[in-house]
Amino acid sequence: MADLLLELGVEEIPAFAVAGIRDQLRELLLARLAQDHVAHGGIECAATNRRLMVHVLQVPERTPSKEETILGPAKRIALDERGLPTVALKKFCEFQGVKLTDVVEIETPKGSYLGITKVGGGRDAAELLAAAIPAVLAALTFPKTMVWNESRVPFIRPLKNILVLFGNKPLDVSFAGVRSGNRSPGHLLLSDAFFEVNSFKDYFEGLGRNFIILHEEERKAKILAEIHEVEEELECRIPCDGEMLDYYVFSTEYPVVFSGSFDAKYLALPTEIITAFMTHEKKLLPVYDGAGKLTPHFVGVANIPDENRKVSSGNEKVVQAAFEDAQFFWDQDRKEDFFALKALLKNVMFQKELGTYYEKVERLAALVDFVINETHQDALRSQLHKAAFHCKNDLLTKMVREFPSLQGIMGGLYLHAAGEDPLVWKSIYGHYKPRSLAEEKLEDLGAGILSIADRMDSIAGFVSKGIKISSSKDPYGIRRDANAIIKIIIDFRLPLDLAPLIRLAALNFAKNDADLQQNCKTIRELLASRLENYLKDHMKHRYDVVNAVMAQDTMAIHDKYLKAQAVARLVESGMAEPLSALHKRLKNICSGSERCNFSEGELKEKEEKILSDVFKESKPRIDGLILRKDFAQASSEILEMRPIIDAFFEKIHVMDKNAALRRNRIALLQRLDELLSAVADFSLLVETKPGGKT
Amino acid sequence: MSVQNVILKLQEFWAERGCIIASGYDIEVGAGTMSPDTFFRVLGRKPWQVAYWQPSRRPDDGRYGQNPNRVQKHNQFQVILKPVPGDGQLLFLDSLIYLGVDIRIHDIRFDDDNWASPSLGAWGVGWQVMCDGLEIAQFTYFQQAGGIELNPNALEITYGIERLAGFLDGKSSLYDLDWGNRVSYAQLKLEEERQFSIYNFELADIDMLRGLFQQYQKEAEKLLDRSLYLPAYDYVLKCSHAFNILDARKAISVAERTALMGIMRNLAARIAQKYVQQTEGEDHG
Repeated sequence: MADLLLELGVEEIPAFAVAGIRDQLRELLLARLAQDHVAHGGIECAATNRRLMVHVLQVPERTPSKEETILGPAKRIALDERGLPTVALKKFCEFQGVKLTDVVEIETPKGSYLGITKVGGGRDAAELLAAAIPAVLAALTFPKTMVWNESRVPFIRPLKNILVLFGNKPLDVSFAGVRSGNRSPGHLLLSDAFFEVNSFKDYFEGLGRNFIILHEEERKAKILAEIHEVEEELECRIPCDGEMLDYYVFSTEYPVVFSGSFDAKYLALPTEIITAFMTHEKKLLPVYDGAGKLTPHFVGVANIPDENRKVSSGNEKVVQAAFEDAQFFWDQDRKEDFFALKALLKNVMFQKELGTYYEKVERLAALVDFVINETHQDALRSQLHKAAFHCKNDLLTKMVREFPSLQGIMGGLYLHAAGEDPLVWKSIYGHYKPRSLAEEKLEDLGAGILSIADRMDSIAGFVSKGIKISSSKDPYGIRRDANAIIKIIIDFRLPLDLAPLIRLAALNFAKNDADLQQNCKTIRELLASRLENYLKDHMKHRYDVVNAVMAQDTMAIHDKYLKAQAVARLVESGMAEPLSALHKRLKNICSGSERCNFSEGELKEKEEKILSDVFKESKPRIDGLILRKDFAQASSEILEMRPIIDAFFEKIHVMDKNAALRRNRIALLQRLDELLSAVADFSLLVETKPGGKT
Repeated sequence: MSVQNVILKLQEFWAERGCIIASGYDIEVGAGTMSPDTFFRVLGRKPWQVAYWQPSRRPDDGRYGQNPNRVQKHNQFQVILKPVPGDGQLLFLDSLIYLGVDIRIHDIRFDDDNWASPSLGAWGVGWQVMCDGLEIAQFTYFQQAGGIELNPNALEITYGIERLAGFLDGKSSLYDLDWGNRVSYAQLKLEEERQFSIYNFELADIDMLRGLFQQYQKEAEKLLDRSLYLPAYDYVLKCSHAFNILDARKAISVAERTALMGIMRNLAARIAQKYVQQTEGEDHG
């Protein structure tokens, strides 16, 4: 048994990409080990922006050996009538590198064959690993690659060093023009370029001595603890999570928290501007007092200790200059007539082939109008129109040109400063939100409606250009747009069927009718898949519950959300089992038949007459429940008909020889199926007992 | 440290490491990359090590001399190392040490930032180098120029001279910098910034510049037909500067922007191809 250590020294990998590459490295290596039959006792991975480390524990020095049989030609082909070897057999031996005397007869279900048995496996793990590592490295994929040396091997940034130890012995590996050696890179600023490594002990001790905190959990804990110290010292709050924390963790090897302050006069700037300048631009954290108000302090994370306060005073100067710029932009932009900027949007491209922002806002106004009609929000109409027309004007402000992350927000702030109606400025302010499913509900419905319109327009445009998204590629944020639409509709409980909105949006880009149909279908599928994802991953509904409500092909998003909750409740209460059994039975009989006409006059037997009467009596009530979105109650009322349905099935032969009778009975059952399907396809429930995994 | 000392020290440092010290180009450029000493020499197989101080014009960055950090003409120090040396980052850190930066107490970071010049068909992958939160340089592995894949690749280091001097001197306004021998940056440059800002933003004749762009383009095409890629390239640079002033005057519509960029990219690509054709037979070195 021996452990494998692989460390790649790479010039600074962009922080956002580090974790993904580390995970790929783990998965690719595990797959390769399995393929090579190399056993192990687990794998540990760690990464900084300058190194990727894999530690495979307890690898046996040889792979297990096993006997394997290699079949040659069938006996009747291998030997001639005199029992002498034919050319076919000789060729087989030649190919396998064995003598004729090694060949044995092997019985198979297909008859007698000649062949050989040999011992396979038992291969040297070190050799396999030395071959596996370059193959694994070559299989890594990156968001963007580059080449830098004669090898012309693409990588994310130049690979500088490869260290491979197998049981404290170096393995000779070459990749991208770099040959493995017994060294590891030190901290860029605090230690020598490399330190020597001849054993695991050397490696882990060397990291510590050279200011490298290898494990991200340790770096994260150090950062959070030191931020907490500043919180205590300044009696303040410094939120640090998500993107910023990840950035700090994956852009440092020896993170050290520092703090600084700036002139309090800049606190007169809107909070949004201050925080955007600090976080996006300068990668610094704002500091809040107990009441949640900004203080003239900031916190950052350096890659070295800051005992001389050089880092913090340098950052103080930079922050001061940034706020000076911000003040300049804020003052200059407010001198302009914000509404007049709309005409200049003719000069700003939305996307190649998709026209200008001027054209986009004209389209938005129409889409907003439609959403207002559908959701009965007529009171918002005039303000939302104004918001739609002017929501992109801020792209022309100095502030947003400099800091694109403030788009929308700045439009809102400038209009607020100009004394505009709150409905207008708040709608513009929030229309780029929500940025993720995890965000809080939007404050303003107006922003929500504008956001839906804006994102639907973008999706329709990109889809019409034939842009496809995959799990790893979504350069235009189409998936994020679709997620946001789903979230807004559910958060505001909007009675909005997306199908006609999709059509309206797609109409703006379609080349012809066939094109329009295809684009609508693509967009519907995209949104349906995002809803499915929302119900499964965000709401934690079981996959079969989600399948049951997704079965019906409508784009009434909020209905489906409520239906999923209802079905989940029915599962919990034990009612799903009889509903599922009933629905399966109905489907079995109804499937395969076209929709039949139903006529009371054609009813013959007592049980079918009773069922028909009860159905006729219950249906308006159940329809009413469905209309009021009380899907659970609707389902349980359908279930109340069960004794009568059971009696029907017991006594009535649906598939009667008389075609008229048969069709009429099928028609009655089809009506029942339709009523049930209006809630969900219960037949798709796999596990009808409470619990089960998502 | 004064601005001129930063330049002198960088020249010394890179000369000692095998670079020739060239002059900045004498036609308006937006960045050191646009000088023929970079654009042409990164193409082809021949090794090339050069360093030069390049005044760089970006009309849209003008602030009438009223902003402490932004100017329409700033100074870059450009280094090209081709092929890429094995220890480029360390060489760069050494140059900072040579300038007097104690890298053990300053937070020097290589922060993801790729570079592209669509009008020259050029791009690279690399970082902005931050020192205590201040961007002092761009560090780029050149991948393509004139639409041609580079092989071997070149390393491009571009120092922001004013930024470096400001950092070394602890000054927060560039006008407070000492250019050298007690002449301040303001004495030397303030009036220039004021006048050029007025010209670029308010007075530049739009019709004249449009006309010039077309004439420059025609001249470049004529020269290309005669395989005179060097003067042809000069006229592309002149196109580029005319374009930048038009842009500062907000005179370029969307459609026009795409068209003009396309013209420049096309010319640059043809010029690059001519250069490669004409020089590919030559030996290394």
